[in-house]
Amino acid sequence: MANATAVAQHSFVREKILLGMSWKEYLRSLLTPTNAVATFILIIGVPLLVYRFAAGLGATTNLSQSAPWGLWIGFDMMTGIVLAAGGFTIGSAVQLFGLKDYHGIERPAILTAFLGYVMAVIGLLADLGRPWNIIMALFNFGTASVLFEVAWCVMCYTTVLLLEFTVPLFEWLGWKRIHSVMKKALIALTVLSVIFSTMHQSALGSLFLLAPTKLHPLWYTPYIFVFFFVSAIIAGLNMVIFESALSHRIFQSRADHHVDVDKLTIGLGKAAAVVMFAYFFLKLQSLVDGHSWGYLATGYGAWWLVEVVGFVLLPSLVFAYGARNRKVKLIRAASVVGVLGVVLNRLNISVIAFNWNRVDRYVPSWMEIWVSITLVTIGVLAYRWIVNRMPILRGDPAFPAEH
Amino acid sequence: MAYDLLSVYPAKLLEYGLGIAYLLMFIPFWRYVQGGKPAAAEVRAPAPVPAAHPVAARPAVAGWFQVPAGVHLHPGHTWARLESDGLVAVGVDDFAHKLVGPARVELPSVGAKVAQGEPALELGDGEKSVPMLSPIDGTVVAVNAAARERPDGVEDPYGAGWLFKVKAPRLAANLRQLFADSAANRFLEDASERLAMRMSPELGRVLQDGGVPIHGIGRALAGDDWDEMARTFFLT
Repeated sequence: MANATAVAQHSFVREKILLGMSWKEYLRSLLTPTNAVATFILIIGVPLLVYRFAAGLGATTNLSQSAPWGLWIGFDMMTGIVLAAGGFTIGSAVQLFGLKDYHGIERPAILTAFLGYVMAVIGLLADLGRPWNIIMALFNFGTASVLFEVAWCVMCYTTVLLLEFTVPLFEWLGWKRIHSVMKKALIALTVLSVIFSTMHQSALGSLFLLAPTKLHPLWYTPYIFVFFFVSAIIAGLNMVIFESALSHRIFQSRADHHVDVDKLTIGLGKAAAVVMFAYFFLKLQSLVDGHSWGYLATGYGAWWLVEVVGFVLLPSLVFAYGARNRKVKLIRAASVVGVLGVVLNRLNISVIAFNWNRVDRYVPSWMEIWVSITLVTIGVLAYRWIVNRMPILRGDPAFPAEH
Repeated sequence: MAYDLLSVYPAKLLEYGLGIAYLLMFIPFWRYVQGGKPAAAEVRAPAPVPAAHPVAARPAVAGWFQVPAGVHLHPGHTWARLESDGLVAVGVDDFAHKLVGPARVELPSVGAKVAQGEPALELGDGEKSVPMLSPIDGTVVAVNAAARERPDGVEDPYGAGWLFKVKAPRLAANLRQLFADSAANRFLEDASERLAMRMSPELGRVLQDGGVPIHGIGRALAGDDWDEMARTFFLT
């Protein structure tokens, strides 16, 4: 009996964790140049995270009383959350709108969203001066605060993403009974994910309603929350195109070859072209509504034009051309520009165009940059670990999908 | 810039102009995105022009063997079909049915495990029999006793001639290895071509290839060595 249990445990570890290899073989398989780069990043980044909590914000960042947030909020939090919008975008397309063709890319989109939110929360904890106070949102309902809404929605949505992720997790573990329960709950979870995402993607923009004069007039508008939500949809579409192209190339042996990724990419390219075209005109309307066309002649105006024309209108036209003529490589290239455009927008609003008229501008320190790179690296490593073991890019033969 | 009361009017004018421009530009943009040449696979073939004279365009061996819709064929000439009760019915296809002739069927017992690509049943004629592969993984839950008792072999191989039923836990993975619909027809056409080459190896297809194979064509072609020919087709 003890021997049987030991053999069973050894079999689970070997088959599930070590991919059928022994410990020695598995460790040897980790010796790759990519892992060497990741190790170098982590060796410096993880002690930096510890140092931040040991020595405080002042010792590790260039934040100050006049620049209370910086790269960790702008990049890790805001950009991380908006790039994770693929989860609710593709989830609603498949579960709510009935576009079953996109089922093959729904699970990687949800996994990317889940890891994106976890990394965003870690970045947020690193930025908070008193991170232990974050649990007070559970007890003190500061309902007049925009951040209260953001805290609750991010907390609830991360939980929803975790529950959605349990479907492939339980397939990997072979827990059939609870797996069927979670699978039946997927539609309800998708409805919740759309509700929570709509609220907090826009609420992140509502933060800047509190400080209208700190944000440059070219980026500030009373409707900034609408722009945050529409750009989240743009980020979701672009990120899914980009991520599915990468995954199906890097993890070819793990991918389901029945999924026609090229056809799905063309469909997503059409959607991205239309949404970005509409968003471009929304941007023009906000420019006119704010009477801020005079700023177009300044340096910030040129930067605004780079963001709006170069990273919204141009990829929209490229998406249109690529979708019409079925050029998948062109659509993927445009999705890279689209993702960078959303990142640029969030960094502009939270860091670059924020406090735009002060003389002591905030510039992130090297430790802030390295911690950000570390968090992205941890997310990528976690994604790779999960895809190599769980049925993310392909279905599990023991759990056939019903048609 | 400083806020100016009068600047409201040009701003409103610009806003209305932008809205109208957006609507006017969105329509051609939408039509551009949705247009484009359709994918090659989606181009419909032009309707065939009726010929002035009847033309014998069919291959000589077309239509020798049939396979209905919903049936998945294994390369070893067995078939699987998902029934309404959730079980999977298994049998031998039209080709095997005609090749072996009056067949004696050896079936697995209820409760036996069958695996895709592994021998699961036998067809016999006289003293000889050939094993056939299971198309599906699973546990046998029902056996067609009528097929075993009929002395002159199974008729209607896809209907009343089903052989056994399986509870299949890996149905989706198994079905991906099988042929269905057009792939199944193509598979049987290939088998027909190979059988025709056995009939006339020197000449190939000739003008008298208008008939269909008789029941028991294997013995008619190969005599007492019919089982060896059958094994090559049945992959056993």
